[in-house]
Amino acid sequence: MAARKKVLLKIIILGDSGVGKTSLMNQYVNKKFSASYKATIGADFLTKEVLVDDRLVTMQIWDTAGQERFQSLGVAFYRGADCCVLVYDVNNSKSFETLDSWRDEFLIQASPMDPENFPFVVIGNKIDMEESKRVISLKRAQAFCQSKGGMPYFETSAKEATNVEQAFEVIAKQALLQEEAGDFNNDFPEPITIRPESDQGGCAC
Amino acid sequence: MTNAESPPSPTASFYAMSDDDEGEYNTIRHTKTGRGVKLLYTKSKVYIHPSPSAKDNIPGFIALIQQKSAPGSRPTSSSSAPTASAPSDLLLAWVPESCLGDAYDTYVKVDLSDTSSPPKQTYLVPAPPITVSSPATGHGTYAFAIPVSQVYSLLVRPPSIGWWFGSVVINTRAGDSFPALFFHDSECQSTILQRRRLMRESFDPFQGESGMFWGGDEVLRWLKRYVRVERAGADPNTYLIEPTEGDRRGFSAVDGVDKNRKGSVTEAPKGGAGGASGPQDGAMDPFTKFVKETRWNILEKLSQVTTFTRRTAQAVAENPKLPPQVRRLIATPEVQTLSEEFDSARIYLARWAMGMAEQSERERDARIWTARDVLEMEDTGVGEFELLDVSTSKGTERRKSVDMGEWEAWFDTEGRLQVTPDEVKERVFHGGLDADDGVRKEAWLFLLGVYEWDSSREERTAVMNSKRDEYIRLKGAWWERMIEGAGPEEEMEWWREQKNRIEKDVHRTDRHIPLFAGEDIPHPDPDSPFVDAGTNVHLEQMKDMLLTYNEYNKELGYVQGMSDLLAPIYAIVQDDAVAFWGFVGFMERMERNFLRDQSGMRLQLLTLDHLVQLLDPALYLHLQKADSTNFFFFFRMLLVWYKREFEWPDVLRLWEVLWTDYLSANFHLFVALAILEKHRDVIMQHLQHFDEVLKYVNELSNTIDLPSTLSRAEALFNRFQRTVAALDQKNPLPPPSTARRRLPAPTSPKSSDDGKSNAALKAAKAGSIASRAGGASSGVEAGPAKGKGKVGAGNEAGDGKEEEGKRVKVVSPELRGLLSRKVVKLEKGDVQKHGGRVR
Repeated sequence: MAARKKVLLKIIILGDSGVGKTSLMNQYVNKKFSASYKATIGADFLTKEVLVDDRLVTMQIWDTAGQERFQSLGVAFYRGADCCVLVYDVNNSKSFETLDSWRDEFLIQASPMDPENFPFVVIGNKIDMEESKRVISLKRAQAFCQSKGGMPYFETSAKEATNVEQAFEVIAKQALLQEEAGDFNNDFPEPITIRPESDQGGCAC
Repeated sequence: MTNAESPPSPTASFYAMSDDDEGEYNTIRHTKTGRGVKLLYTKSKVYIHPSPSAKDNIPGFIALIQQKSAPGSRPTSSSSAPTASAPSDLLLAWVPESCLGDAYDTYVKVDLSDTSSPPKQTYLVPAPPITVSSPATGHGTYAFAIPVSQVYSLLVRPPSIGWWFGSVVINTRAGDSFPALFFHDSECQSTILQRRRLMRESFDPFQGESGMFWGGDEVLRWLKRYVRVERAGADPNTYLIEPTEGDRRGFSAVDGVDKNRKGSVTEAPKGGAGGASGPQDGAMDPFTKFVKETRWNILEKLSQVTTFTRRTAQAVAENPKLPPQVRRLIATPEVQTLSEEFDSARIYLARWAMGMAEQSERERDARIWTARDVLEMEDTGVGEFELLDVSTSKGTERRKSVDMGEWEAWFDTEGRLQVTPDEVKERVFHGGLDADDGVRKEAWLFLLGVYEWDSSREERTAVMNSKRDEYIRLKGAWWERMIEGAGPEEEMEWWREQKNRIEKDVHRTDRHIPLFAGEDIPHPDPDSPFVDAGTNVHLEQMKDMLLTYNEYNKELGYVQGMSDLLAPIYAIVQDDAVAFWGFVGFMERMERNFLRDQSGMRLQLLTLDHLVQLLDPALYLHLQKADSTNFFFFFRMLLVWYKREFEWPDVLRLWEVLWTDYLSANFHLFVALAILEKHRDVIMQHLQHFDEVLKYVNELSNTIDLPSTLSRAEALFNRFQRTVAALDQKNPLPPPSTARRRLPAPTSPKSSDDGKSNAALKAAKAGSIASRAGGASSGVEAGPAKGKGKVGAGNEAGDGKEEEGKRVKVVSPELRGLLSRKVVKLEKGDVQKHGGRVR
């Protein structure tokens, strides 16, 4: 790995139907919000060029269908992911409760080399709604993320572009670390897992 | 001069007409007298292609125009020789047809005048806007007129294989490039006439592809009458206009002045037209040469550089080694968009190439004309002639749609069908139903199985009455449950979840259709998450129908995508009970798409896999290399029957065609194949990875032409049928499987969308084509074909070669199922077996 090659970071966004996966992606990549996105069927992705620690990388962000049964065909694009974003709606407790199964599902399907250390980032979306509607508290979400190896946690509004940029900045960083670790492993037939101490653990809010 | 109705002007008789005679301008019969510029030459059907889609193409005229020079800028003598005409008086212009107004007729007239000699008559047209720099892409009309003195060079690219339209790009002295002008020769009457004349003269106009006369030749010929045009030795496609010594050195022009003024036929470059390669390389570094070519040429080159695949235009632009000119070109909107949307130039190129190919379909036919065709054309005197695609048999022609009158005439006084259902289906299959006269409202209920084909009007009324009652009963059942909250908590929870899902999806289904747009009533349910947004009566009806379906089919329940399937039916029928039963009929065949283990979708994707292997093995091998033979990129199209790929009116048409099951109950897979085949060349040339293929196919949305796709699908079906028949004849021993296309057995009794089925899929992927076909269907087939057999004939290359001899070549049951017109519906318990309802 003498020359620094062009880096493509593959990000997968998962979460229940209607939590705002498509909106988050579009807000981040196109700086646009529309209330009338159709339910995603199958999968699609957008790309964005960003600088991460002075390094130009391309983020390829995959948007997926949220209804659970459409995941089983998803293996094709899960593979090779560098970071997985788990999204829920802070006003919908079910979407929070399913985060764990999304995470498990991803680890099974993507089968990353080092599942223990695979980077996830959690996003609680739709914080623009009235406070009275909110059912998942910041504290509860943080506790959950802490219990799962300290996944970084963000609360966002794709509608109002709150915190979206910040969340994806961390996602890009995490993905780059993962990508570099992956390359490192690939260079040695017997993987020696020396991972850089990442900035995982602790809420980035 | 052919235009007898326009008397020749008294004085105009030479190339460069002097404009000192003011009176002359007013003597010309023209609607707008007194003002304007002289239209010396023009050519019609010259297009700008602002986007990859043929839809956006703008037809126009390229024209050589003479304007009055500014006072004092040149002598007023009328004796000026042609070469003395200052190029600053001349404008090279492109004007879109839509902007011409009254002048259109004049342009057409000049286009059709004999250009072998200089214009004998003056035609005046309004002056086009004079521009010296390229218009901002994406805005405005693109019209331009540049003084010839400002033209630095023309990049001339004659039509050739892969570039059906010849093109000309104007480069200005200021360093700008105007958008490429594409000559649609087959549409251009004057080019057709000129070809015909050349053909008369030489008896051999088709002396090879590059030698064919085309519109761009004509432009060079005009210019050569007024200015020096020299072909650049370094780049035979570049013609320098009034070059300076320096320009000439830079480009090592061929033999100084291009002497070839007459024989435009021989002008098209044949590769070796210019200076030797040695000195040329020395004179010009590759990047400089790069810059001399146009934007699209650069993209073309990029596509050849394989290392570019994963690099962005952005990265190229930031390469310090690049000269600023290239960086500037990279900053063009097209390339910018590319960089924003996707990181691979291939996608852009692919889209762009497809746009080119799309509009050249007619042209492609024209290119295989033989001399005899041309002679026949001479005889009939028809300027343009229609060519029938030889592969298009008569049956595949799209016909006029069935209107209410035709529909009603099929029924007797009792409302009983007097013709066979097959006759009706054939008509609907080939023509569709009238979109406006309400015939769909009636006919769809037959196609969806709500009404029996042999029923009388009276029977239908009775059926509908009982179905209405049943709808009300079903609706009441879930309503009660919601209100009373009776039943186990788990069940209640499921209902609440389903209601939320349905509501969420209804509020984002087809809201651009007027029926579903707007929120004019307050939300009836204060607990709904949409309470603030409001709703409208049709959204509420949609919600009720889907909840009623959730009640009707509790095993499966509502699954995302179903709202997409219901909306068109409701929009046509506009009666919730009737629409509900139409939807139930539709769902009988679509149910398999929504199984929890996805076995129904897998089966269809696998069938598509087999179909491509059989009918287009070369494409298949490419897809295999691109890791795309899961055909996942067709998932969306198959799940909701192309609902997201076509505009609303086309969806309605497509669905009624598919509902007929006229050729196959799985004709939608031939539609998929037709779409794939249309793009096969682009896919094979430009797309090399799964993500590229997926992105490309996803972005076909709203660019697909329905009628031609249906014709192609039918032709492909016919080819498929013939192929299977031929295979069966060759191979009479293994009895054709009679099995219906059943779902593969679930891999585990409870939840099968787990690692196991994926493992099977992975294994299948890794294996050979043949073992894959066998393995994936092994749960189904008990016949002798089980587990062996290649999918089709031995026309695949590659995989499984070593075993080819041993294997019995049979048509896979998946493929054979495609010949059936019977819709395979799920049986009782199938939904449970395949994962049950949503959890």
